[in-house]
Amino acid sequence: MAIAMRRKSIWRNVALFLAILGPGIITGSVDNDAGGITTYSVAGALYGYNLIWTLIPSFLVLIIIQEMNARMGIVTGKGLADLIRENAGVKITFFIFIGLLIADIGNTTTEFAGVAGSLGIFSVSKYISVPTVAIIVWIMVVKGNYKIAERIFLVFSVALLMYVVSALMGKPHWQEIGHSIIHPEMKINSQGIEVIIGIIGTTIAPWMQFYMQSSVIEKGLKIRQYKYILMDIIVGCLATVVVAFFIMVACASTLHINNIVINEAKDAAMALKPLAGAISSQVFAFGLFIASIFSATILPIATAFYVCEAFGFEAGIDKKWKEAPQFYWLYTGIIILGAIIILIPNAPLIAITIWSQVLNGMLLPVVLLCMILLVNNKKIMGKYVNKPFQNIIGWSSIVVLVGLSVTLILMPLFK
Amino acid sequence: MTLQTTFYLSQILGKKFISPEGKILGIIRDFLIDTTIQAGPDPEPIRPRVIAVKVKAGKEAKIYDFATFEVKRFKQKLQVTCYEVHETAEEIGPNCLWLAENILDKQIVDINGRKLVRVNDVRMVMIPSGTYAIAVDVGIAGLLRRIGIGWVLQTALDPVNVSIPGKMILWDDIETVDFSNSSIKLSKSSSKLHMLHPSDLADIIEDLDRATRTSIFASLDEEQAADVLEELEPKAQIEIAESLPVEKMADLLEKMPADEAADLLDVLQEEKAIKILDEMEKESSEEVRELLEYPDKVVGSIMTTDFLTFKEDMTVEETINEIRKEHPEPSNIYSIFVTDKNNKLVYAISLMELIIANPSLTLKKIKKQKLLTVFDQDKVDSLAELFSMYNLLAVPVINRDMELEGVVVVEDIVEDLLNRRKTR
Repeated sequence: MAIAMRRKSIWRNVALFLAILGPGIITGSVDNDAGGITTYSVAGALYGYNLIWTLIPSFLVLIIIQEMNARMGIVTGKGLADLIRENAGVKITFFIFIGLLIADIGNTTTEFAGVAGSLGIFSVSKYISVPTVAIIVWIMVVKGNYKIAERIFLVFSVALLMYVVSALMGKPHWQEIGHSIIHPEMKINSQGIEVIIGIIGTTIAPWMQFYMQSSVIEKGLKIRQYKYILMDIIVGCLATVVVAFFIMVACASTLHINNIVINEAKDAAMALKPLAGAISSQVFAFGLFIASIFSATILPIATAFYVCEAFGFEAGIDKKWKEAPQFYWLYTGIIILGAIIILIPNAPLIAITIWSQVLNGMLLPVVLLCMILLVNNKKIMGKYVNKPFQNIIGWSSIVVLVGLSVTLILMPLFK
Repeated sequence: MTLQTTFYLSQILGKKFISPEGKILGIIRDFLIDTTIQAGPDPEPIRPRVIAVKVKAGKEAKIYDFATFEVKRFKQKLQVTCYEVHETAEEIGPNCLWLAENILDKQIVDINGRKLVRVNDVRMVMIPSGTYAIAVDVGIAGLLRRIGIGWVLQTALDPVNVSIPGKMILWDDIETVDFSNSSIKLSKSSSKLHMLHPSDLADIIEDLDRATRTSIFASLDEEQAADVLEELEPKAQIEIAESLPVEKMADLLEKMPADEAADLLDVLQEEKAIKILDEMEKESSEEVRELLEYPDKVVGSIMTTDFLTFKEDMTVEETINEIRKEHPEPSNIYSIFVTDKNNKLVYAISLMELIIANPSLTLKKIKKQKLLTVFDQDKVDSLAELFSMYNLLAVPVINRDMELEGVVVVEDIVEDLLNRRKTR
């Protein structure tokens, strides 16, 4: 009898968890976008297993940050853009959102680069794939049902687990992996720092913070569900990091060993072909395609939404074009710009990817600073302000990130 | 020299104020305004008067009476002089608001535009009788002024004769709703929100955060609250239902048509729904319970049980008098119904047929269309076609014993069609 009761309560818990499941997991999946896959591939190819350790601090910081977002969303019922505008004033808001807009146009470009690259593996020209995907994405969001699209992509993002397959096909040396997590061997040089910043910047992208908080509000979560929300966040962050781990392993155990240098995610897919077989290459490309199109759907609409929220323009896909013109023009503009940049012959795609990550890296500490000040404000959060250990991790992340960003900006000057 | 000075809140916040001798006394931080409507013979335009000012004098924050302050424009520059300082109590009156803390950068309701807007700036004026807030700036011009690049752009645009679009809303046409950072409550009596149509108010409430929703809801009277609740999306309905005490929810549901109440209870958690039903008056809760028993997709689940029935030997005149006395909702008298002594439905008479009929005839004698009915267990899908084919506004719903159970009105059909399109 007691066992039956207990089992019932376990099932009840599982059911409750499934009901609120979402914000953390979706955010975690969107996190592994084209930019992420590129960065992890490059890191794996260049440094083998030696940069895998960066995923551990990234994982911890990611959880702390997303937990703060979720808590703020639940307690205030307001988006992060709203809170920043209402408490930090117009000037800081303006700086953050102009930065966010530019960085996100860059990020969208990276997503379309992912679409072009991955479909290129299947011999589709970018002049066909990019406009087609841009139009499909635009129509899906404006004319179709965004929520359903989000769910479909969430199911599809299981495809990211294909990187596990891709990694295993490369026959990785597990012992060596374990060893290099504990004792990484790498020389401290400017390229290494750049890649480390790249990994952190793409794992903890600023726009994700806004996205996470709105999803929590959208879902109407309550503080009494906190335990499940935390589980959702941990599962989401774990998904991000596990996928990142296997991408790095896949590239390390094949490309790094053979001294193959890559610049883009699609290079990794192509290079895998002779080393791990055509299937491994196609699996890698398919994962890249899903990740790119998923993020290309969410990123532009989310960006348009936060910018409008902060500046007080009407926003939302339930509004008509006439009711919310700024919102729709922004959305359309971001997609068109992102797609056109890719189609320019000889466009400096790698430079665009790097610069949008630099911008992300510069914005991240500013956004985090706003967040940590907001979440410690008793007027806003009441008794749900940060606990000391959350502040310690939060503040030290800000200090480290500011340090890394400053290094990244100053580095070219000393080269 | 003019007797009036107009300026923006953003231009004066952070400004130093000086004594007549030119000594710097402190920095202006915020203004307290009194939004009480002065009772007078004519409805004067509402202009809240500034009654106090929060300043930083030395290292301390102080609140001074604003009566001894003066704002002047001197060579295009604003100058604030203060003759003597009178500290006032921290206590804030019931209709008082801080401009910077409660209004600037916050969302307010634009009553005419029926939507939420964000305040970029506040337009103020100083005249001999006092200083007033006259309008809020919600346009791009205000935004650019705050960022500090408004004048740059304007200078650039001047030669081509283009001005940055500004948008001001007079104080009469706004309502403040967001007090999340302070202890102020939305006042019941002075709220302009009741001027909005319940559907518009419902749309606005859906866009707000939970705390603000609840406070707006608490400021509405019961009649209005029930109307708004009816118009909300199911998700927002659930949130409101969870935030209100069971007794209050029960009172609101009693005021709603039984079919709408049933729809709402249907989306709530079962325990909560049962608690609310138990708290409702017996008569209304029974109607709702009956409706709840119908499965989705059958006619019984969308019909209303508010309708008027009459006996066939009543005259047209008596019937119309009866309707006048009953004062039903418009959607409940598209048709009236005639039943026999066993409560079986015999005729449906449209309002049109009733009005053009000779007042002295009995209901049995007047000219009417053939009776058209649906069964309560029929599928909802079939109704739209029926309504369109016969141009109906309402159709009576009967059970297998020919007894009148309810009425489906055209609004229910439209709503059903829209919902179906949404979920497709």
